[in-house]
Amino acid sequence: MSLLKEVLSRPGGEEIRRCFACSTCSGSCPVREIDGRFNPRRIIRMVLLDLKEEVLKSDFIWYCTTCNSCQERCPQGVRIYNIMNILKNIAVKEGIIHPTFKAQVDLVGRMGRLYEVEDFDNKKRTKVDLPEVKKVFPEVRRLFDLTGVRIDE
Amino acid sequence: MMDVGRHPKIKLLSYSEIEELSGFAGNFHVRVRKKARYVKEEECTACNECAEVCPVTVPDEYNYGLSTRKAIYIPFPQAVPSAYIINMEDCLGNNPIACGKCLEACDKKCIDYDMKDEIIEFDVGVIIVATGMDVYDPTPLDEFGYTRYENVLTSMEMERLLGPGGPTDGHLIRPSDRKEPKSIGFIQCVGSRSEKLGNPYCSNYCCMNTVKEALLIKEHAPDTEIKVFYMDIRAFGKGFEDLFIRSKEKGVKYIRGIPGEIEEDPRTKSLRLYVEDTTNGGGVKHHDLDMVVLAVGAVPRIDPKLHSLLVLSKTSDGFLLEAHPKLKPVDAPSTGIFFAGCAEYPKDVKDTVTQASAAAARAETILSAGKITIEAITSKVNPDLCKFCGICARVCPYNAITVDPKKKTPAVVIEAMCKGCGTCGAECRFDAIKMQHFTDEQIMAQIEAALEERPMEKIIVFACNWCSFAGGDTCGLSRLQYPTSPLLIRTMCSGRVDEKFVLKAFELGAPIVVVSGCHFVDCHYIDANRWTQKRVERLWDKLEGMGIRPERLQLEWISAAEGTRFAEVMRAIEELRKKVTKEEVEETKRILSEAKKGRR
Repeated sequence: MSLLKEVLSRPGGEEIRRCFACSTCSGSCPVREIDGRFNPRRIIRMVLLDLKEEVLKSDFIWYCTTCNSCQERCPQGVRIYNIMNILKNIAVKEGIIHPTFKAQVDLVGRMGRLYEVEDFDNKKRTKVDLPEVKKVFPEVRRLFDLTGVRIDE
Repeated sequence: MMDVGRHPKIKLLSYSEIEELSGFAGNFHVRVRKKARYVKEEECTACNECAEVCPVTVPDEYNYGLSTRKAIYIPFPQAVPSAYIINMEDCLGNNPIACGKCLEACDKKCIDYDMKDEIIEFDVGVIIVATGMDVYDPTPLDEFGYTRYENVLTSMEMERLLGPGGPTDGHLIRPSDRKEPKSIGFIQCVGSRSEKLGNPYCSNYCCMNTVKEALLIKEHAPDTEIKVFYMDIRAFGKGFEDLFIRSKEKGVKYIRGIPGEIEEDPRTKSLRLYVEDTTNGGGVKHHDLDMVVLAVGAVPRIDPKLHSLLVLSKTSDGFLLEAHPKLKPVDAPSTGIFFAGCAEYPKDVKDTVTQASAAAARAETILSAGKITIEAITSKVNPDLCKFCGICARVCPYNAITVDPKKKTPAVVIEAMCKGCGTCGAECRFDAIKMQHFTDEQIMAQIEAALEERPMEKIIVFACNWCSFAGGDTCGLSRLQYPTSPLLIRTMCSGRVDEKFVLKAFELGAPIVVVSGCHFVDCHYIDANRWTQKRVERLWDKLEGMGIRPERLQLEWISAAEGTRFAEVMRAIEELRKKVTKEEVEETKRILSEAKKGRR
């Protein structure tokens, strides 16, 4: 299936053809502070032109912080943030994933949590009479194994 | 305006509202409430002495709050009649002991606090609706910060700032520090071309208004930096492109991209706009500007009372619906009512003058002839059969039927107002209404003839004259193939399709019956097809109750241009027909004939 058709068929992507490239979304996007080249308008345009490989392999779809500013301001009611999620899902299905996202999955698989807890944190907690927290939750790893999610150690 | 005020044959009733309207083309009777202005307009010489002594100061609506006015004021310098008016909500003079200063100041003694609204009644032959439009209020678009940031203005406010008679006498300053702005940005399409706001249309005049304002600013102060942020500049009229190019030559910069947001520097009150220039790949940049103008679009002015009095209908965008979008662009659906200006659709001055001239000419065709020719297809009431229930009057899209259920007077159709949709004839339970040229007998005869032989192979399609029947024509002219089973019976409107026609077709063994008409906003009889839908829904319930599959009655909206869709629908319905068995049809016949016996 073409990328455009796939986006159109998923919930949230139905209105993508309404886009008239006014670039209100680009002007609203906070990611410009990190990378001025990030540009939701351009991604929408690329989807409309069915440039599947270019869209899915670009780093930009992973930069979206899902802050919703673009969607809130889009005059045509294009659900940009939903479209970014759709694109991420399609990319994963096609076996493309950004290394940082993979790294997060690895972290959760290894520790059962995203942020590593060190002895220092627990010391601080005991000082203010808070119970210590567990560093690793092995159950999560079991869940990963059962559902077939593979992680890199 | 002055010319209109002075014209011996034009009577101008400003500050007035229509209270009641009766009659029809050539014979309208109007009742108007002329609101009290508390100043005798014939005697007032607009000397301004009253306003000088008035102690009340409020924001001036005409200048969008950029200046002030008094409680006694003249709305704007060119107002006709040139007379003052008191806004009683602001005035202290309701209680003369509290103030009454203007009363003392007026030499001609034309101020009267006890003035009452006046009711005026008169007859007119034709009515022209020129009620105008409103501009979009951009306050809800938080990203532009209108009303939050002092130096963000609407194009209307800018217009007043640049006006020689405006709050600054035409001197361009920015509101926060009263200094001349060094740089000004315009943002286009604010409130128009937005599906989200429900205004998907282009407001037509904003591009050229921005070009004009940019040129005016360049005239005032040639060194001002002007940036226009747009998505499309639509300079399509005569001389428009020239003006657009001239503004570019004067140094106005056009940047294709709408800013995502505006930030204000709290110290200098200057503004920073984040925007991507989509014509080069440079990504998002920011522009620092002293002042920003939002080119606000048009929104329809909603006046439900006037709409119901004049039987005006709206298109999906909220502007008034014409009798025909191409062939009768200045006519209202009801005869004798015409449109001029932005009430019908946003337009600029030139288009408004064009339409107003056309409306005047159209009005003259009725007035000068003294009589009108109407279509012979109108409905007639048989007073002997009428049971005064009033349903016909309720369903008539043109208010052409009068009936008094309380006084038990039979319904009367004003033929000059009747357009012949036949909805009244279909809804009348007592067969008291005869729809001329589309009588019950004529249509019944067509149904009988169509189903005389091999009814199992036939589909009865009731098609409206303007859309569905014409859609069939388009289909034929395009040489599109569709099955031979559908037999079309033409009615003027789908609203004419009586319950008994459908039941008759089933009784005679039709496997499938289709009712088809125009799409909702396209109905050529204002909204008569809404009654079609209600009736078909009622019939579905009835059929189900009787044990007949409701799917055998289909409702389809097909427009005159949809030849392809016509063929598709007919093919789909042919598939449905194939699924209806002989036994089912026989069972239906039995049910219906028993129901008939039961009624007897």
